[in-house]
Amino acid sequence: MRGLLSKIVAEVLWPVLWFCLGLFVIMGLLTALLPKVLGNIHEVFDNMPMVKPLITALLGVDPGNQISSQLSQAFLWTHPTLLTLLWAHELMYCSRMPAGEIDRGTADFLLCQPVTRLQIFLAESIGWLVSGAVILGCGCAGHLIASAFVHPEMRLPLRSALLVLGNLAAVYLAVGGMAFLLSACSDRRGRAVGIVFAVLLLSFLLNFLAQFQEWAKSISWLSIMEYYRPAIVIQSGQFPWSDVLNLLGLAAITWTIALLVFHRRSICTV
Amino acid sequence: MSMLETSGLTMSYGSRRGIQDVSLQIESGEIFGFLGPNGAGKSTTIRILMGLLRASAGHAHIFGLDCWEKGSVIRRDTGYVAGDVRLYPWLTLNRGLKILSQIHGRSLQSEGRQLAARFRLEPDLQVRQMSRGNRQKVALVLALAIRPQLLILDEPTSGLDPLMQDTLMVCLRELAAEGRTILFSSHTLSEVESLCDRIAMIRAGRIVEYDSLISLKAKAPRRIQIQLSPGQMAPADWPASVRVLWQPQHTTGQQATQQDLLSLPPGQLSQTCLLELRGSSGEFLSWAAGQRFADVSIGAPSLDILFRSCYAGDDEPRSGAVT
Repeated sequence: MRGLLSKIVAEVLWPVLWFCLGLFVIMGLLTALLPKVLGNIHEVFDNMPMVKPLITALLGVDPGNQISSQLSQAFLWTHPTLLTLLWAHELMYCSRMPAGEIDRGTADFLLCQPVTRLQIFLAESIGWLVSGAVILGCGCAGHLIASAFVHPEMRLPLRSALLVLGNLAAVYLAVGGMAFLLSACSDRRGRAVGIVFAVLLLSFLLNFLAQFQEWAKSISWLSIMEYYRPAIVIQSGQFPWSDVLNLLGLAAITWTIALLVFHRRSICTV
Repeated sequence: MSMLETSGLTMSYGSRRGIQDVSLQIESGEIFGFLGPNGAGKSTTIRILMGLLRASAGHAHIFGLDCWEKGSVIRRDTGYVAGDVRLYPWLTLNRGLKILSQIHGRSLQSEGRQLAARFRLEPDLQVRQMSRGNRQKVALVLALAIRPQLLILDEPTSGLDPLMQDTLMVCLRELAAEGRTILFSSHTLSEVESLCDRIAMIRAGRIVEYDSLISLKAKAPRRIQIQLSPGQMAPADWPASVRVLWQPQHTTGQQATQQDLLSLPPGQLSQTCLLELRGSSGEFLSWAAGQRFADVSIGAPSLDILFRSCYAGDDEPRSGAVT
């Protein structure tokens, strides 16, 4: 296992560090700037009516005509830049093995070492969990440090931040589980990444359409974003057990199927 | 117990052909040649042995263990170099040795350094900066450094210059002398001929020849070149043991290849017959003694001819093939 972890570190260390730095900076900037930008959001709503449903879709609640300090902090946690960076890391990481290894032909080298496929998959999963924790931690650190420079009324209490972080971590696990599954089923990394990306995009779209369309609302439970609602978490101050359990359930199922598929499938690099 | 044994091994890639009914047995300390043209099924067989592919029928055992179920145990003592070597771009030989040392639970650095010196490899050069030949050498050094009981090499000389090919051959002979077993897959006959004790030829997914090198040579065809006397016509009836490849004054039925014709003396085509002899030469020699040929020369048994005859023609294995 140590050798496998060494290989993973050699492969992903620098990209993970860049993602950490990116999330740290982005979260810091958003924490500092969003309250100012969103203070005049009613003007944006008046000029561009489509913005409001978009923000409603991201927040999971109707912000009305003014965005409160709480909602502006909630918006921070659903900001597309944050989600894009986090998911880009996941897509990059979780599609590496086996799809990426097969795609570039290195699967022969890896799988012909005296390790079981279970060990390989577990080592990859450990790397995924650790890198996710580090990246989310860096994002959170950026937010907390920048909060110190924000007006006290605009600050998000640490407890609320941790509750949302817990919910976001569950989203991270669910998306990663899906990415692992698609990677385990595919010989082409691009195909695996493309499908997961499409699922995420459809999740966004479904959440957005659910604001106006009844049919979309009736199936919005299929969207991952339906289970990530920082605004409600911040407003209620309660940990979203139901949402988190749904996401963890999805993560556990997809991860387990990915492991089974990888364990049983033939690997062909030619 | 055999070191490696397959029986009725079958695998297909959907509509694409894989292998069919491949049965092999390799004993400890043997250098076994696995010959076949590109796409014949060599790599598929090897991938099943390495636990990468799951056979749809038959079984494959190494050290008496099932290759699919106990792959990780088998690979503790099995070195493998893939046909088309692909390594991580960030990998250096030293880093690879470090990772493999951690995986194997023992230091491979010393052995690796010695091999790197033999193969003239820079241990800290990244794979992305290496030529194809050097990448091949890294894969070879990593496979040899573990001092495996069984070494499976899939076309290992591709990309290596002739000097490095020689170095590899010496290394393999040393390993065999220590009692280690080598499965050497290649589509180049000369490599296998110079190295192996026994060989199997695979064609269109089936084993078509499987014997010791000595036995195969014994049944390999020989070329006979006959120089006709001035004014002599080519005989009308040839012995049954020979096949006529070329005879003058015949405009049809010539079976000689361009390579065969090039082997004939320049300007002598009109006076030379070229035959292929299978089996013993006794019957032919008795018959030839009664003719008034100017000269008869019989070549040594050639595996190359056998090799080419196995692969020539259509895509299906020839009938009556040895399995």
